[in-house]
Amino acid sequence: MTDATLILQSDADQRAIAALRRKNAVWRRILKDPPAAAAAIFLFAIVAAAVLAPWIAPFDPYSNNMRLRLCPIGGARCPDFLLGADNQGRDMLSRVLFGLRATLGMGVTAVVIGGGLGALIGLSAAYYKRLDQPLMRLIDVLLSFPSILFGLAIAAVLGTGLGSLVIALSVAAVPSIARIARGAAQSIMQQEYMEAGRAVGLGDAALIWRYLALNCWPTILIYMTLQLGQAILLGAALSFLGLGAQPPTAELGSMAADGRKFLSIAPHVSTIPCAAIFLVVLAFNVLGDALRDALDPKLRQ
Amino acid sequence: MARHIAQRLMISLPVLLGVLLIGFLLLQVVPTDPATVVAGPSATRAEVEAIRQQMGLDRPLWVQFAGYLGRVLQLDLGRSMISNRPVADEIALTFWPTVELMLACLIWAVPLGISLGTLAARRRGTTVDRAIMALSVMGVSVPVFWVGLLLIQYVGGAGLLPFQGRNGPIWTADGLLSIILPAVTLGAVFVGPVARMTRTSLLETLGADYVRTARAKGASDWRVTIRHALRNAMIPVVTLVGLQIGFLLGGSIVTETMFAWPGVGRMAVGAITSSDFPLAQGAILILAVGFMVVNLIVDVLYAYLDPRIARS
Repeated sequence: MTDATLILQSDADQRAIAALRRKNAVWRRILKDPPAAAAAIFLFAIVAAAVLAPWIAPFDPYSNNMRLRLCPIGGARCPDFLLGADNQGRDMLSRVLFGLRATLGMGVTAVVIGGGLGALIGLSAAYYKRLDQPLMRLIDVLLSFPSILFGLAIAAVLGTGLGSLVIALSVAAVPSIARIARGAAQSIMQQEYMEAGRAVGLGDAALIWRYLALNCWPTILIYMTLQLGQAILLGAALSFLGLGAQPPTAELGSMAADGRKFLSIAPHVSTIPCAAIFLVVLAFNVLGDALRDALDPKLRQ
Repeated sequence: MARHIAQRLMISLPVLLGVLLIGFLLLQVVPTDPATVVAGPSATRAEVEAIRQQMGLDRPLWVQFAGYLGRVLQLDLGRSMISNRPVADEIALTFWPTVELMLACLIWAVPLGISLGTLAARRRGTTVDRAIMALSVMGVSVPVFWVGLLLIQYVGGAGLLPFQGRNGPIWTADGLLSIILPAVTLGAVFVGPVARMTRTSLLETLGADYVRTARAKGASDWRVTIRHALRNAMIPVVTLVGLQIGFLLGGSIVTETMFAWPGVGRMAVGAITSSDFPLAQGAILILAVGFMVVNLIVDVLYAYLDPRIARS
């Protein structure tokens, strides 16, 4: 028995290495596509800026100075504020950096929670044939429901705030990832090594984790990236409506809503966070499309 | 066909129950105790208890839920805590403006999207194709509220078009003018997906045998594209447009709020932020039911257009 497990372990390692190689090949293909490469580099920089925000932001995003109120970009009143000041005289650049941190953080958290749950549902549906029908009907039901309504309903029941927002975005991310995970797992279920694993007496948990999950995760991970753009857009919209992050929290959607009242005198207060959301989501979508093309041999020709 | 409709209804039923459950839960979180309110400030504890029994508030939650279902079926959705008017009346007022806005968006965004998608598919791989696809990716990436803010800033701010509220029904000149900016905002994020779907679907049909036959018979390029390929390519586009109604709903909630458009979405957001639970419950319920009805209609229409769907 020890021998069999040992062999299986090295087998799994080999497969992990092969999966890694496949992923690297995809990355090489992405780098040959200029817009996708630009998007990848941009996202890398943005994520780094968001993570490092507390250390690289030039000012405190919450310290206000009413004398600098609505100071435009390059205004003489605020020579140190590269992107001007908002309606409370706070440094826009620092707020955008912290806003990116909050917006990306909420998107990533939601996609990781929702995607993890979705992956679990998808893998279980593929592994336990009896669960397939009920689980997939549940996913159909979730999928047929517009995600903004999850946002409204959850904000209504749990109250507004970043917590409810993350829950709503997680729920919205579950169904599509579950479908992808099920599709990927079903093709793995056909492989001979699944049968071999069962023959040497491995339990369900070991088969699902070591065989199914380990072989499916590159696909699932890529679709989670694809979902990030959508999650960020939806989260920003809900925050803009006042159902997500609450002031004074620096979050891009609520910052855009804040600046709405000063559109005619200081358009930069809402334009900068809007443009930031647009660029981040655009980069995710461009990269996601390229990843999908790279993975789908039918489209590659 | 009847079986297909029945199947679709079976899928919708649990969603409906889930939505009703959320609506019911919303009424449970109301911070004030209805029995205390009815009894008045001078009532004794025994009197409040008697009223609680009379209103059925002491019964198990599932019995109360059944009562709630019965009331919803009779269109009794309670009263708004702020205006004190029946929720059903509030919904009746806001329902048509929302439908109007969605139609005003679809009427220009869908034809434009289909035209752009067709053009991109015909000029596949050229600069035109790449430009249209780039625009389409931008369209799905741009936050609706940014489009709205830019239009308010440059078009509304310059006094060219009204951007605050609905100045009348769509068939009056004032009403028509006031719907332009909201409809452009909402449609701007919808053109991209439609163009993309049309392109993909058309590229598939352009490779079909009957298209080759039409070409062999000497039909001109555009005639083949429009008469033979596009008609068949439209079937998936119609369904996808139907599926995208949810996406449109999200956009319309934001658009209504920005342009002070008196629709259901704006009412829902207002009710949630002001903790008007009965109104929020009614608004979410009507949005969900409306969405399900549209989906069902699209689905039946699709099965009618392509009988293979109903049979599978």
